[in-house]
This record gives sequence, C-alpha cells and structure tokens, in this order.
Amino acid sequence: MIAYLDIALKSIKANLSRSIVTVFLTAISAAILIFTSTLMDGQHGIMLRNAVEVYPGYIQITHKAFRDTPSFDNLIFDEKSVLEKLKERNDIHTFTARFETAALFSSKTKTIGAMITGIEPENESHISKLKIALVEGTYLESNDTNALYIGVELAKRLKVSLGEQLSFISNAADYSFCADNVIIKGIFQTGLYEFDANSAFLNKRYFDEVFVSENLATHIIVLPKEPHNALALSQDIQKGLDETLISESWKEFMESLVKAMELDSIFSYINLGIFFIVIFFVIMIYTLLVVFSRVKEIGILRAIGTTSKQIFSMLVFESAILSLLGVLIGGAIGGYLAYYFNIHPIELKGEYAEYFKQYSIMSTALPTDFNLITIARDMSIMFILGIVSTLYPIFKINAFTPSEAMRHV
Amino acid sequence: MLHKFISPVQAGMLIIVSLLSLNLFAQTSSQIIQKVENNLNGKSAYMKFTMIVKTSRYERKMQMQSWGEGNEKSFIKVTYPKKDSGITFLKRDNQMWQYVPKIEKTIKIPSSMMLQSWMGSDFTNDDLAKESSILDDYDHKLIEQNATTYSIELIPKVDAAVVWGKIIMIVSKEYMLPNSAHYYDEDNLLIRTLNYQKFQQLSNRMYPTYWEMLPQTKDKKDHKTIVIVDEAEFDKEIDSSYFTKRALKRYSK
Repeated sequence: MIAYLDIALKSIKANLSRSIVTVFLTAISAAILIFTSTLMDGQHGIMLRNAVEVYPGYIQITHKAFRDTPSFDNLIFDEKSVLEKLKERNDIHTFTARFETAALFSSKTKTIGAMITGIEPENESHISKLKIALVEGTYLESNDTNALYIGVELAKRLKVSLGEQLSFISNAADYSFCADNVIIKGIFQTGLYEFDANSAFLNKRYFDEVFVSENLATHIIVLPKEPHNALALSQDIQKGLDETLISESWKEFMESLVKAMELDSIFSYINLGIFFIVIFFVIMIYTLLVVFSRVKEIGILRAIGTTSKQIFSMLVFESAILSLLGVLIGGAIGGYLAYYFNIHPIELKGEYAEYFKQYSIMSTALPTDFNLITIARDMSIMFILGIVSTLYPIFKINAFTPSEAMRHV
Repeated sequence: MLHKFISPVQAGMLIIVSLLSLNLFAQTSSQIIQKVENNLNGKSAYMKFTMIVKTSRYERKMQMQSWGEGNEKSFIKVTYPKKDSGITFLKRDNQMWQYVPKIEKTIKIPSSMMLQSWMGSDFTNDDLAKESSILDDYDHKLIEQNATTYSIELIPKVDAAVVWGKIIMIVSKEYMLPNSAHYYDEDNLLIRTLNYQKFQQLSNRMYPTYWEMLPQTKDKKDHKTIVIVDEAEFDKEIDSSYFTKRALKRYSK
C-alpha cells in the first residue's frame, strides 16, 4: 500500500504541471459547488423567513375549527387569558392578537370585498413586516380611530389615495351589522400581490368597538426568542391552552409553502446534478488525456512485471491524492466564500431588487447559508466524483498489452 | 315481445299518451310554482316583520318594513334596533343597493358578495336580490304528491346563473303555499332548509307568518333565522318612488 502511495506521489511530482491543472480543476469545481449550494440554501431560507415574517408569523394560535371554517363561531373567545399565559413564558420574544374578517369597502367610484383586520400596532410591528412595508403616509398607532392602513393594490383597485375617505360595511362579531367611514392613513406594499390587493388594517382598540370584538380574536401570533425552535415551542404552548384552541408552528399552517420549497430544492439539485455531470466529464476527459500521454510509461511498467491490478491501484491512488488536494483547497475557498457572504450578504440593487420584491422577498440582501455539514457534503461529493471520473481512463489504459502500450504514439 | 300483445298503432298511441301525460305533469308542476310565487309575493305586498337571528353565542332581534312589487322590485327598511334603524335596501332589475345612514352612503352590492350573509342572518343577499328566478331559471318536476302536499324538484336550467344545484319544494295543496324548501348544492348536499309555518289569514289571503331558516351544514349547526310576519297587505298600489335609488336615503328617516 505504502509502495503504491510512494509511486503515486513520485508520478504526481514527475507530471507536476498536469497535476496542478487537475488539482486546480477539482478545487475550482468544489468551490463553485459549495458556494452555489450554500447560496441556494440561503435563498430558500430567506424566502421562507420572508413568507413567515411578512405576515403569518412563526406560531399561530387559533380556534381548532377556524382554519377550515373561519366563522365567528370559531374565535378565540377569551383572548386576554391566552395573552396572560403567554406573558408568563420567557421563551417568547413577543406576541400579538388579530381579528380578521371580510368587509365591503366602498370609495366614491368602486365597491370591493376584501379582508379587514384589527391589529395591535406596536406588537404587530415586532412580529410582521407590516410597518416596514409602508410606502406612503404613516403606520397605525395604538390611539388611532377611523384610520386605515391599506395594501397598495387594494388602494389602486378602489381608486383611492392617502388621506381620502373610504367606507366599509361588514358583520360584527355578534353578527350585527357594522359600518364606518375611515381615512387612509398609510399605504403598504409587501410584494405579496394577493395580500396587498385584499388587505386593510385598523387599530384593534377601535376595531373592537366597531366589530363588537372586545376580548375576541381570530389569531394570536407568537414570535419565539429562537425562531428555529418554533415547532417545539408551539407544542409546548399547546399544553397550556384551552382544548378548543390550537397552537401551530409555521411548518404546520404553511405546509404547502414548505412543500413548495422542498420541490424547489429538488429542481435546484437537478440543476446542480447537471453541474456535477459537466464537472465529471471535464475531469474524465482531462484525465483521459493525461493518462494517454503516459501510455508508454505504463507499457514499460507492465513490461517489467507490474500487473494491471497494481497499475490500477497506483493510478487510483494518484487520482485520490489529486482529488483530495483539490477538494481541500476548493473546500477552503468555497467555505470562505460561504462564510464571507453569510456575514456580508450580496445586496441586490436597482432593477434586480425590484424583481426580487415581485417574488415577495422584501429583503434585498442575499446571504449564503454557512453550514459545515453542507460544505463537508459537497467536498465528499467532489472527492468521489474526482475518483470515479478517472476510473474509465484507467480501465482504458489497462486494456493495452505491454507491447501495444510501448508502441503507442 | 311487445308486438305479440299490442298492435303497432296501439304502441304508438301508448307512447303519445305517455308523452302527453309527462307534458301534463310538467305543466302542472310549473303551474304549482307559478301559483306559489303569486301567493307568496302577490302583485304587490307591504309587510312588517321581525327577524330573529340565533347563533350558539348570540340572539339578535331586528324589525323591518318591506314594500314589494311581484318578484322584481322590493324595498326594505330596518326599523329596530336603534343602531341599525334607517338602513335601507333596494332590489331592482336583479341588482341590490344598500343605504347606511351612519356612513351616509349608498352602496351597490357587487355580484361577488351575493352569497354573503344578509344582516348577519342565514339569508343571503341573493335571497333578497333573487338574481335567479325560481320560475324562469329552473326546470320543475313533480316528484311526489300525497293528500296534502306536492313535492316539486327544481333543477337549474343549463344556462341559468343560479346558486343552487337543486331545490326541493314541498307545497301545501290547501293553501298553494310552500311548507318547506330544501336547498342543495351542486354535489347534492343539503345546505339549508326553509320552513314556512303558522298559516294565518293576512289581508286577502292565507299566509305563512313564521319562516324558519335552518342551515344544515356542520359549520352552522347552531344557527337559525326566524322571520315572523307581523303585518301584511297584498295587491294594494305601492308608490313607485319606493323603487328608486333616491328612496334609499329619502325613506331611511
């Protein structure tokens, strides 16, 4: 074994320039692979975080039947007692109550049905991106009455602008009729078209008076101190809740989005797979050229009694050493890039930033996901790929008889 | 084998008689529906009624007045509770408007909101607007009759823009008024039942004075809307000004 290693090392030194090119190819490929996959993971992370943080939140508490039947029979009927229980916990960053229902909005020229939601402005600003999504006017305050915070697309549909009056009619929580005139205080744009085209918000204190919803809520949103532990925390919160209520993490109530991301990952890995195939053939062709330039040398070794098995082992060792070297260098470069862009995310500007917003991603920063497991996985893949890609050339050269090999031009 | 017992002429006559009898049945069911519509709505009708909405948590009472001409035009004014007093509704040409004094605004109810609850009850805006006509938009079939009632199945015509997949109406032979109507969706699932009870002499006719709307879906299992007709006058001339958009504000006071 040591002898093969020794021969392999001598051979690498003897063909130094070719060896450097092979190491260089492997290193660059490994670095690109690591950077691409950490960037992809980072992008998915950003998309999920945005989808969760724009409005839905990490944990939602609702009535058990509310998601299937969002009626006034399926509300959180004692909002205060739930909020009190949440206050006692020290693993929660903040929480807020919401009451959402459908309403008919009427401007001077248009009447459109959309969602109207009572929010606690201060708490909401820590949980969702509503406040930072402001594009015109000002955000809601806790003493606001008759002030509406409206989605940019809904405002467009109703043909209203900042400061204009809008009327709404709806059913109150006791199923009585309710209506009022409100002034548009602020306009927001999250980038989620459907959300921006169907949502408007009121200060919950005022909302509760109009909609007879004192101590009632449709949702209580919880922001954990450690968002990645949302699932475990939601299960723990559930233990202290009334049996009519349910606490769910975003992975449960946004199951379809999670599945969509998984599907997107599959497609991304297919793309990476194509990248692997290209790398595989580049290394294989280069190795083929390198090995064929050494046919005579191999022929001489065979003529002096080296068996084809020994030749095979020697060349595989040579390939393994070069691949390992390349992967280590590539891993260091790729790992550094992943680390650097994790701390200093790529900032999208101008048209690209707008394009990004169209896909509901409010943050224009694109960080990589610096994850040692991902880096180790990609290094292993490149190492195996490096060795496997040299097998064909090695088999090919071993197929020559010693005399054929020595006569080879 | 049939030709062994009856001649071709007899067979032909049998088919014609069968078709005629089917047609007669069709005419009968349409006539029944026509009579029911006339008895319920009259040429014109003025009513005072109380609506009670019951849910698992609340019970609300509202009082209203209505003026109507056939099935085409109607005007409703809420008179109680004080909070809602003065809200008016106008239905004309299959369209519906609402005036809300609190916001001093007349709002046209868009088609997309027709299936929404009307005033928090188990009736929908469509029940009031009657965008679809039971007489014109449905094919009628007498499916059963006994000594006291007809059971008529109403299936929407192919090109009709209707809400229901099927309606079964049980009609009292004595009053030619509905005893009940059962509304099914397109999947033949019973969605709600409207019972007409307490038939009394009102004005020039017998009339159901207690209407009970019972949703049949699981999500509304504890809901019920009761309409009690307190007063009614039929076939008297109604001032045409009630059926104008201006009336919404004018008669709101």
